[in-house]
Amino acid sequence: MSYHTTQQFYSRRQSGWNRNQNTVSFASNVKLGPVSHTVLVALMVTVLGLVYLTQATQATAYDYEAQKIDSQIAELETKKTDLQIENARLTALETVRSSSVAKATTKPASTEYVR
Amino acid sequence: MELSLQKGSRSRILATLLFLTIAIFIGRLFYLQIIKHDEYVRLAEAEQIKPLIIPAKRGEIYAYDSGDIVPLVMNQTVYTLFVDPTTVTEPKKVLEVIREVAGGNLRPKIEDLLDRKDTRYQILGTKLSRQQAELIKKESLSGIGFQAVSQRIYPEGGLAAQTLGFVNDEGAGQYGIEEALDERLVGHDGLLESVTDVSGVPLTIGDKNTKKPAKNGDNIVLTIDRNIQAYAEKALASGIKKLGADEGSVIVMDPQNGDIMAMANVPTYNPKNFTKVKNAALFNNSVISTPYEPGSVMKTFTMAIGIDKGVIKPNSTYNNTDSIRVDDKVIYNLWRGETGTITMQTGLNYSLNTSVVTVAQRLGDGKSITRGARDTMYDYLHDRFKLDQISGIELAGEQPGVIIPPTEVEGNAVRYSNMTFGQGMNLTMIQVASAFCSLINGGTYHQPTVIAGKVTDIGEFREDPAKSSYENVISPSSSAKVHSMIRKARKAFYAGNDTPGYDIGGKTGTSQTLKPGVGYTNDETIATYLGYGGNSVPRYVIMVQASGKDKYLEGGKHALPIFTDISNWLIDYLKLQPKG
Repeated sequence: MSYHTTQQFYSRRQSGWNRNQNTVSFASNVKLGPVSHTVLVALMVTVLGLVYLTQATQATAYDYEAQKIDSQIAELETKKTDLQIENARLTALETVRSSSVAKATTKPASTEYVR
Repeated sequence: MELSLQKGSRSRILATLLFLTIAIFIGRLFYLQIIKHDEYVRLAEAEQIKPLIIPAKRGEIYAYDSGDIVPLVMNQTVYTLFVDPTTVTEPKKVLEVIREVAGGNLRPKIEDLLDRKDTRYQILGTKLSRQQAELIKKESLSGIGFQAVSQRIYPEGGLAAQTLGFVNDEGAGQYGIEEALDERLVGHDGLLESVTDVSGVPLTIGDKNTKKPAKNGDNIVLTIDRNIQAYAEKALASGIKKLGADEGSVIVMDPQNGDIMAMANVPTYNPKNFTKVKNAALFNNSVISTPYEPGSVMKTFTMAIGIDKGVIKPNSTYNNTDSIRVDDKVIYNLWRGETGTITMQTGLNYSLNTSVVTVAQRLGDGKSITRGARDTMYDYLHDRFKLDQISGIELAGEQPGVIIPPTEVEGNAVRYSNMTFGQGMNLTMIQVASAFCSLINGGTYHQPTVIAGKVTDIGEFREDPAKSSYENVISPSSSAKVHSMIRKARKAFYAGNDTPGYDIGGKTGTSQTLKPGVGYTNDETIATYLGYGGNSVPRYVIMVQASGKDKYLEGGKHALPIFTDISNWLIDYLKLQPKG
């Protein structure tokens, strides 16, 4: 079986075009005057401003959220410390000594050591 | 056709005025925004950017409990209740609520404070708990506010008070660990500089925000064991009460590494109520800050020097006549009757002054305490045993002792003869006990310490670097001989109440006190007992001291029972197996 070239390739260079040059030029039928341009630019600036404001407000909203979380963390840490203190008080020697369990303990009559 | 305003027309005047006004505006704006830019930026930043201190948490202090770590000093947030009298709208309700919730924390005459409309800040109550503060906040009382403050909490009450010290109202550590390690405990405050809103909430907008996190203080773990500390305090207090004495101290340490296991004084105080203490002397830890003449416990050191220098052995003999002359002074034994040729061991058993003065003479020419003998003694006492030097223990208020060097006129033979039995020198208990450890542990002096390490923020224990140790203060063989002598000295008369099967030794000390105009007197004495206990190796050293105004107290009668009580208890607590 053999193959044949069925279509001839013509380089665009040969027809006077260079790389990175558009081969088609487009001309719109809609024409914008200077006023329209100004309005459009103003609108774009406004939109960009709004975007900036939205982002800035959003960041501030996160700040308030973070502040709220910080407060919660601080409160929980305070509670944790209070519980640790309570735990330390309940396991303090004086508390243990005066507990009913400690009062019920007796001294061993004798001690033996396993060697 | 060209449009123009007619000269002098109202329109032209208006246009000119408008132009001038705009020009003024532009000029003013230029002045404010360009020329005064930096100044206004500075003013704006001063208004908007607020520096907020992030307070560092003061480190907590822990002790051991049979190997576990337990808190001795903690931090708790409490609240100061204040009022702005000018903004209080319901004074009756305010009084009713705060009295009901925080009655015990309020200042006297709070009605008067509420009426003081000429001021904007009055403190109504202090040290309110979080629960109390929350209950009051719920009532939304106008003019009432809270300020959070941190305070030290002592779950074990007054345990180890003089070792711990306290934190004063300015937040500075005073006495004990709190003062000595203040820098390590206090940490470093952090800083948050940020744009804030009107209510002071920090915002992330702006490019000048800085945040330096706080570095909390170290959580220190002491070498103190709370059970040993509690027992030592109890035994000391009960012993001192029985004696009718005024003051007493005890130290328990590990002779193998210099760790302090307990350190107690009577009388003592509760650091929680340090402001109520009337006698500031109670804050001092006498174990480290009160040098005294330790008396006959020093005979163990004199024997050690003699043995280490090779001038005596435990069974070396001398002729005891119950007195011995040194220059123009005659020194007598307190215990009389063991006259004749006796061994150094017998001399130590009976605590005979003549035995140790003889050792000092043998360090010289055998007849007198020569300069060479004094130089040798000073070398051991000062350089090797570090008896008059600051030990470096991590507690505030440690005092050096006094040992007069032989280079001084007062460092004569008479003084050095007195020093052989613990008079004529001033030493603290920590100095004597630390040096004593080297007599019985093979001859190594360990710097005493109360710091084991620290607990990190994530709860890990990190050991502190080992403290300095000095080997061969005396040779291991000398140490073995002295160890044996001290054991025999206790066995001779004082071991009756010891738990059998253990290696326990010790030496009594009864020091005369020096009274102005009277000189040394027996009317008031200081009783000391210094000993060790253990099985195959010494596991603890205990030194007890008791004294009272116009009280004659003896080491063997009055300090020894306290030693025995603690020693027997320690054998059980440390789960020591008997020898054999």
